[in-house]
Amino acid sequence: MATLLDPTSELQPARRMALPRPASLQGKRVALLDISKPRGDVFLDRLQDRLTAMGVDSRRYRKPTFTRVAPVELKQRIAGECDLVIEALAD
Amino acid sequence: MFVASNEFVDAAATQGRALGFEPAVCFVEHPIQDRHDEEMRALADAAFEEILESLVAG
Amino acid sequence: MASFDKDFSGLVAIVKRDCETCRLLEPVFQRLAAERRLQIHSQDDPAFPASIAVMDDRALARSYRLEIEIVPTLARVESGSERERLVGWKRDDWRRLTGIADLGDGLPAFSPGCASRTVEPGLPEKLAYKFGDTPLQARRIKVAAQQDEHELAHERGWSDGLPVVPPTEERVLRMLAATSRSPDEVLGFAPPDLASCTVEKVAINAVMAGCKPEYLPVVLAAVEAALLDKFCMHGVLATTYFAAPIVIVHGPIARAIGMNSAHNVLGQGNRANSTIGRALQLVIRNVGGGKPGGVDRATLGQPGKVGFCFAEREQDSFWESLAVERGFGAEESTVTLFAGGGVFPVGDQKSREPESLTRCLALSLRAVYNARIYGATDALLVVSPENMRVFRDAGWTKARFRAALDEALTVDGRDIVAGAGGIAEGMPLKLAERRLSKFRPDGLLIVHAGGGAGMWSAIITGWGRSGDHGSVPVTVKIRE
Repeated sequence: MATLLDPTSELQPARRMALPRPASLQGKRVALLDISKPRGDVFLDRLQDRLTAMGVDSRRYRKPTFTRVAPVELKQRIAGECDLVIEALAD
Repeated sequence: MFVASNEFVDAAATQGRALGFEPAVCFVEHPIQDRHDEEMRALADAAFEEILESLVAG
Repeated sequence: MASFDKDFSGLVAIVKRDCETCRLLEPVFQRLAAERRLQIHSQDDPAFPASIAVMDDRALARSYRLEIEIVPTLARVESGSERERLVGWKRDDWRRLTGIADLGDGLPAFSPGCASRTVEPGLPEKLAYKFGDTPLQARRIKVAAQQDEHELAHERGWSDGLPVVPPTEERVLRMLAATSRSPDEVLGFAPPDLASCTVEKVAINAVMAGCKPEYLPVVLAAVEAALLDKFCMHGVLATTYFAAPIVIVHGPIARAIGMNSAHNVLGQGNRANSTIGRALQLVIRNVGGGKPGGVDRATLGQPGKVGFCFAEREQDSFWESLAVERGFGAEESTVTLFAGGGVFPVGDQKSREPESLTRCLALSLRAVYNARIYGATDALLVVSPENMRVFRDAGWTKARFRAALDEALTVDGRDIVAGAGGIAEGMPLKLAERRLSKFRPDGLLIVHAGGGAGMWSAIITGWGRSGDHGSVPVTVKIRE
C-alpha cells in the first residue's frame, strides 16, 4: 500500500462568527470602504447619500489598491471609528 | 458586509471557507466597469434595502 | 543513531560477498568467530562468510542504523556502546583492535573496502523512509490497495488537470536531498489562504510537478520570489486578467540543470522549463488554496498558467542579461518573476537597420493590453538571436536600444484619450495635451532567447495592474 504526502496546507481555519448586529442603525456610524476598483466610488457615493438622508452617520475609507488585502492600520482605524462596515465593489 | 457583482458568488464562498468567516454579502448585477454613473447609482439604489437589512439584527 | 544491544560486548562486522576485500578476509572472520565474541552482518548473502553464524542484513536495517558507508566495517562494542570503528582492511589496526597478534598472517597489509550497499544510488532516501527518523511533517495519506494513486491525486484536487507524480516519502526525501535548507524552513505565506509555506511542502509539489531534485533550488527561489509582497501573488491569482507568474532563470544553474534557452524556448519539450514553473503553480494551488473558479477569477486564462519558465540565452548574447540589468552578477544564479499574460509574436523580416527594427518592435509593444492604455501594463520583450544580430552588427548597446525604444513608445496624449477615433476606451481626457509613455520606468523587461533561425521576437504582456499598485517584477538569488 502506497503512502503519499499531503501537498496542501492542511489548514482547518477556526470558524469565526460575526459580531452581534445592532437592532437599528440609530446612533451607529457606518464605514464605507472603497476597495479601489473602478466605478466603486460612484456606487458608494450613492449609498452614502442615501444613508445621510436617513440621518445615519457614515465615514469613507479606501484601500490603497484592490490587488492586496487591506493594510492592518486601515482595518484598525475602521474598527476604532465605526460600528459597521459596507465594503464595495468587487467585480 | 460587502458588495460584489454576481459573477463573484463562487469566489466569495471559497474565500469565506478558507478564512473561516462568512460575512453578510449582497450581490449586484454584473458588469460594473463599463457602467455610466447613472447606471451605478441605479445599482446602488436597487441594493440599498438589502444592504441595510444585512447591517441590523433581523 | 548507532544501536547495539545494551548488554552486548564484543566485535561487530558488516560485510558483503560482492566485496573483494571481504572475500579476502573470510579466514579472518572465521578466526574471529572462533576466538572472540563476533556479530557479523552480511549485506548480500547470509551464507557468507562460510561456516560461521551470519546475521542476514539484506534489508540493510542494521547497516543503515550503524551508518555504514564502507565494507568491511569492524567495530569494538562495550556494553552496547561503540568504542572504535575500522573500515577496509589495515592489518595492524585489526590486530590491535582485536588483540590477536598474528591475525591475517599471509594476507596483504592493506586492502581498501568497498561501498556499503546502503550508499548505492537512490538507496539512502529509500532507507531513510523505511528505517530512519523522517524529518517530514506532512500528513500521510494511505492509498488503499484497490485505489489508483494517480486518480487519488485528481480526486483530492491536487492536480492542475495533468497527471502528477505521486508524492511518496521516498521521492520527497530524494527531492529534499538537493537542498541544504531545512524541510521546516518557512519561505513565506502562500496566497490566497496565506498558509505557511515550508521547504517540505514545496518539495512535495515539486515532485508532483515532475521536477528532478536538482531543480529544487530554482523552485524554492521562485516560490520565495512569488511570496514577496511586491510581486502581489494574491492579485496575480485573483485577477480576471491573463496573468501568471513567469519564471526567468539566469546564471550557471540554468546550464547545469539543462534548461532550454534556444529553440522553442517558450514552448514544450524541456523537462526543467516545463516542470519548474508548474511546481510554483502547484504550490499556489495546493499550499495557497488558489484554484480556477475559486479565488482565481481569470476570464480566459492562458496556457502558460500551467507553468511558464525559461532561461535567458546568455552565452552568446550581445547584451547584458536581464539579471545583470537588475543588479546581479553574470555568474550568479537567479530567478526573476514577471506577472505576465500570453505570448504575442512580432515578425519583421525586412529591417536590417536598428532604427527600423526598433520602430517596428515599438509598434507592437504599443498594442500591449490595449493600444489606448499607457502606463498601466509592463511587458517582457524576448529578442531572438536573428533580431539581435541587427543590433550587434550596428554596435547598439542595450542602453541605446532602450533609449530608442522609449522614444518610439512615447506618443501624443490626444491620440489615445477616451473617445478619440470613436473608441470609448482610452486615457483620461485631461492628459490630451501631454506626451505619454507606454511603460512606466522599469516596466519593460528585455531578454535574449530563442533558436538561431527566425526573424521573430516575442512580447509577453504584463498584468493590467503592473507597478506599485499591483505587481512589480522581482529577482531572487538561488541558494543551493
